[in-house]
Amino acid sequence: MDKYDIAIIGGGPGGYPAAIRAAQLGASVVLIEKELPGGTCLNWGCIPTKTLITAASFYARARHEIPPGLKITGISFDYKELIGNKNRVVAKLRNGITHLLKANDVDFIRAAASFAGRNLLLLRDSSGNESRLEAKNIVIAAGSVSALPSFLPRSEKIIESRAFLDLEKLPAKLIVLGGGVIGCELACMAAQLGAEVTIVEILEDIMTSLDKDLRSEVRRHMENDLRIQVLTGFSMENITCGQDGVKGQCAGKNLEAELLLCAAGRVPASADLALEQCGLKTNEKGFIETDFSCRTSAANIFAIGDINGKCQLAHAATAQGILAVETALGRRRPDRPQIIPSCIFTSPEIGVAGLSEQEAAKTNRKIIAGKFPFAALGKAISSGETIGFVKWIADPATGQLLGAAAVGAHAAELVAEATLAIQSELTYEELGRTVHVHPTFSEAWMEAAHAVGGHCIHLPPRRKAEL
Amino acid sequence: MPKLGQTVEESTILKWHKQAGDQVKKGEVLFEIETDKAVLEVESFVDGTLLKIFIRAGESVPVMTPVAFIGQPGDPIPEAPVVVHEPAREAKPDAVSIPHPDIPPRPHVATAPVAPQPVPAPPQTDRKLISPRARQAAKEHAISYEPIAGTGPGGRITEKDVLKYLEARKYNELRITPAAKALAIKEGIDVLSVEVNDPDGKISTEDIERKIAEKPKEMTKIRQIIAQRLTKSFSSTPHFYVTIAIDMTDLLDFRKKLKRENKPYSVTDFILKASAIALTEFQAVNSTTDGKSVRWHAGVHLGLAVDVKEGLVVPVIRNADTISFSELHEQVIALVAKARDGKLKPGEMTGSTFTISNMGMLNVENFTAIINPGESAILAIASIFETPAAIKGEIKIRSIMKATVSSDHRIVDGAMAARFINRIKNLLEDTNKWTNMI
Repeated sequence: MDKYDIAIIGGGPGGYPAAIRAAQLGASVVLIEKELPGGTCLNWGCIPTKTLITAASFYARARHEIPPGLKITGISFDYKELIGNKNRVVAKLRNGITHLLKANDVDFIRAAASFAGRNLLLLRDSSGNESRLEAKNIVIAAGSVSALPSFLPRSEKIIESRAFLDLEKLPAKLIVLGGGVIGCELACMAAQLGAEVTIVEILEDIMTSLDKDLRSEVRRHMENDLRIQVLTGFSMENITCGQDGVKGQCAGKNLEAELLLCAAGRVPASADLALEQCGLKTNEKGFIETDFSCRTSAANIFAIGDINGKCQLAHAATAQGILAVETALGRRRPDRPQIIPSCIFTSPEIGVAGLSEQEAAKTNRKIIAGKFPFAALGKAISSGETIGFVKWIADPATGQLLGAAAVGAHAAELVAEATLAIQSELTYEELGRTVHVHPTFSEAWMEAAHAVGGHCIHLPPRRKAEL
Repeated sequence: MPKLGQTVEESTILKWHKQAGDQVKKGEVLFEIETDKAVLEVESFVDGTLLKIFIRAGESVPVMTPVAFIGQPGDPIPEAPVVVHEPAREAKPDAVSIPHPDIPPRPHVATAPVAPQPVPAPPQTDRKLISPRARQAAKEHAISYEPIAGTGPGGRITEKDVLKYLEARKYNELRITPAAKALAIKEGIDVLSVEVNDPDGKISTEDIERKIAEKPKEMTKIRQIIAQRLTKSFSSTPHFYVTIAIDMTDLLDFRKKLKRENKPYSVTDFILKASAIALTEFQAVNSTTDGKSVRWHAGVHLGLAVDVKEGLVVPVIRNADTISFSELHEQVIALVAKARDGKLKPGEMTGSTFTISNMGMLNVENFTAIINPGESAILAIASIFETPAAIKGEIKIRSIMKATVSSDHRIVDGAMAARFINRIKNLLEDTNKWTNMI
């Protein structure tokens, strides 16, 4: 039986960086993946959606937002070819991972893994062959799968995001059930390519984890420019599937579409791991609970990424994976908690980091905020991308930057500067004193930092009260 | 200065809620005082204008001393009551004294007056001489200048001294996030004294916040009073303890039966009443001593320790031996509710002759309590547990409650404490004794 220092279950954005890091530290590492290296993020999540969203935004801009004087005629798309391109992009990145694993001497095994003991894993490949391996430390990075609520009929007209990304034809009419991140991103993408889209969200608004000003900026654009019908505060009822599509009712309206995309969240993939064999239990939601360093209640077993319920984001899984193997190999002491930024590729984009206004309100924490709209920024106006704003949230006593949000063009890129500033505990005065390149979108951060102090250069003073 | 309670001779004004010249309405809080027992708000009993404050916040004066004058604008203001410093002299009749609304003003009892004493300022390290520029430099760098040796005239710290000190302490090598530094300056934390928790050795706001949390903070007045009184009692009274196990099984059954008859008496009610009865039989336990004389209290007034948000208060059930069981029950409910709402009046918290502390709800096996000053014993009641007990040669599961009496050995001897607490046990275990009472 093969023996390793570290075995990692799952080759997604949590598992494969953990494997590489452990190998860098001199450990013998095996990475076990039942499907493809790169996991959901690379194969059926972040990367494929961004490939399609880039094309869709390109198409939408070329049709509706070209600068006066520029003429583009005869623009069209071949959805099947867009999907083909997406598959090539994904394959390229996947090959990159395979090479990196090989270059770092990580053994890659394609099989489903389950526990047979605290240090023992049972592997079963696609032909049903079983084998075992032993590892001193085991990192569970098995991820999550789309939830398909039980009230939905089982039909090929009702699909989740993974299957949606392999459709060869874009539905002309689409219902998206769930106004969370995945639902809104795909709804925007389909709408930009001309599909008639309805979002049904049972909560009072879409993307409720965001501050209201961000939500309403995106929702306004989705409803007015992309013509997406957004129904919030109601569930969809009487769902039936026929030959030509899906029917149902919501808020007294009859809804009809070729396809229903279910984006009702993701559930941890913990059921098939035989956790009882290593003495672990999941909580009632199926998550494996861990401590700060992602260690489970079994000292040699770690759980990272979507399966531990801390944060369902690829980059959080990566950070956790590296933390877990460094901890397992005795190379890291617990340090300060890191803030996890996040982004949403809706139209317009959103990027957030650190404390939000609604979180501050929930804990009665006193904050001051400063906003700067892209409509007042030279670069944004010259690029014709004036939707949205950036916002800082700071501590009134010390000026410490606690949170940031950007909505608008390049928001996901812009949030990187904010993340660094917050993690480094900068104050808004210092950020405001930092020289930013002109003309760029990043200047908005500097202006918004000035706005926190009430002395924004490019906004008239009377606007202060409104901010 | 109102006289709040029989034993209060002097009180301190903590804070004035009104300033001279302010309009005052009847019932409005004028000022806060601290007696040796509690902190209380004093309300005005007249409408008018606060014309003059005689006794400032922080000063202590004997009770019944005028502390301010309320009248109409233009009224002649009487002289400040320097009178209180001379023995047995009445306050001027035209000066308004402000008694608590519940306690009618009484003729001034001649007590040994005490000169007003300012409340001692919080301890301060020796003030160092330091130049304004040096002080500013220390502040900007978020350091304390206390350890700096001054080279200026008279040992005065100069800016140069501060900069030299910074160099000597390798301040330049200190790594700190900007927000952490801003926080340290604001809160007066010396960054050179901060322990760093980050593996990279960089001071973060978290490190400063830990340091802030470690700073000594003044306790609330009520906590300070509790501290003072309990320290005095525990260090000046020779405590000893007698513990007993009381079989509550029958009483609990009896209580259930009463409940069905719509008499929802609590275990505490029974313990209070049993104690009151026992106290009438053991006079020494209902007495007080100063070490030279013993004073017996004719009335049995039971203090009941109630845990509240701010600490601990002890409302008093007066004449617990003579009032009926149902009256006692109702008083307990009313007093505990007032205690929890912070609405106990001074008269309802003073004058107890014996105290009961019931931790029955807190899942404790047994504990001992500290005698309330001015009493000679206190009863500590623990939780009731189902316990195997030997009864006539057989093992039965019984509901057992432990109780411990702490006694002042100067007047209560071991055998007396044992007999006293056994009397309570005997009353609680024999339900027949209660039938005529309820």
